[in-house]
Amino acid sequence: MILMQENSTSIRVASATVMLAMTFFLMGKAYAFVNEAISMAFEAATPYVEQGFEVREDNWAGEVEPGKPLLVRHQLFRGNEYWFWAGTSWPGATIKVDIFDSKGNSIGLESFSKGSFAGVRALPQKTATYFIRVVARHDAKKAAEEARRLGLPPAAEGVGEFTGTVDWGLVYGYR
Amino acid sequence: MTVAVVVAVALSNALLAQDDEVPERLDLANFPGEIVDKVVVPIPAEIFAVLDKLGESDWGSGVVIPSERAQTSERAILALTFGSLVGEGFIAVQAKDADNIQKIGRHVLLLSESLGLGSAVRPHSLSIIEAAGDREWDRVRDELDSTQQTVRETMERLRDDELSGLVSLGGWLRGTNVVTSFISESFNEDKAELLNQPGLISYFREMIGSMAGPSRASSEIRAIATGLARLESIISDEDMISEEDINELRDISRTMLEEYYFDEEVEESKSSETDPVN
Repeated sequence: MILMQENSTSIRVASATVMLAMTFFLMGKAYAFVNEAISMAFEAATPYVEQGFEVREDNWAGEVEPGKPLLVRHQLFRGNEYWFWAGTSWPGATIKVDIFDSKGNSIGLESFSKGSFAGVRALPQKTATYFIRVVARHDAKKAAEEARRLGLPPAAEGVGEFTGTVDWGLVYGYR
Repeated sequence: MTVAVVVAVALSNALLAQDDEVPERLDLANFPGEIVDKVVVPIPAEIFAVLDKLGESDWGSGVVIPSERAQTSERAILALTFGSLVGEGFIAVQAKDADNIQKIGRHVLLLSESLGLGSAVRPHSLSIIEAAGDREWDRVRDELDSTQQTVRETMERLRDDELSGLVSLGGWLRGTNVVTSFISESFNEDKAELLNQPGLISYFREMIGSMAGPSRASSEIRAIATGLARLESIISDEDMISEEDINELRDISRTMLEEYYFDEEVEESKSSETDPVN
């Protein structure tokens, strides 16, 4: 379903092009600023637009230490179906997303996690606040291997170097 | 040393494998991570989508283009009005009312110019007008969302987070008012449950409470703060929302909108109002 690249470094390299396109246009939408992780999340959402999902422009994004879970609160309405899509653009980084109700019970009906992209689907049984958990991880060895395979120069101080955090972005759609 | 590294890697892998499982239950009170502060406010169209599934609504009767008020230079009021007008746009899309969407598109541009954001909004405004002319409703909906997002992001870049929050509040309030009006006309519990949004009301109350500067003391903002407190007293996560509650929510939200958006006695002046732009 998702057009997946083989690894996250190639995604990062390819994202210069994808990002430009995704930043300015997604199904005719114009985006005002560039955020690579958000662009990845929107890219994960693209196939679902054809299934009738309205993808919101507003989103959550930031940087996080690998392995440190993030919890996002969000109002959902019973009667709608939702997908949440997460993305990260950092080489060697992977991301996962899950959803829970206000009592902490998992309510995800379907999910995927493919390296730099992840998604979870929910059909809320109650109109209420729900909790979306995002976990990003980083594998330095894998990042270095990918960089070598792509012929990228090794990280230098301040350039391409892992600084202890990875980027993350989360978007959602409803129908 | 080597053994220690192998053990550490094995333990780390075991922990990672554990963490990668989706827990059946999460202890939200002791969440071992970071709670993200940002609140994304749902657009009115999300609730409208559910209402449409629950039965036919006469969306056309919900469109109310307010007459032009004396131009205010108060940016907080302009931001609230902007948000409500975008909310109006979502109602007009639901009604497939191309004429009113085009009026809203023009009015949105005028307001954004008053806010000093005309150049950022102009392309969206033109797209709204064009898409309405082409009767491409999904595109209009997307453009309305983009317009609001562009304005909010521009405000945030200018460190005007307060104004950005007021844009969201304006849209939410207009959406809440039209939803409660429709539900009060044909009440059922499934529809009423859509108003179960205590988290959002609490967020808006905190936002208004943390406002600084002269806007906070304006009569409109004080009335909004009072209205939000009244809404919060009706909506709590535990209780079912009754028909009486819905009527009260409708009246309170209308009173709040009359502070800056609706003309009083709005019932008599539905969509036949004078176009504020032409």
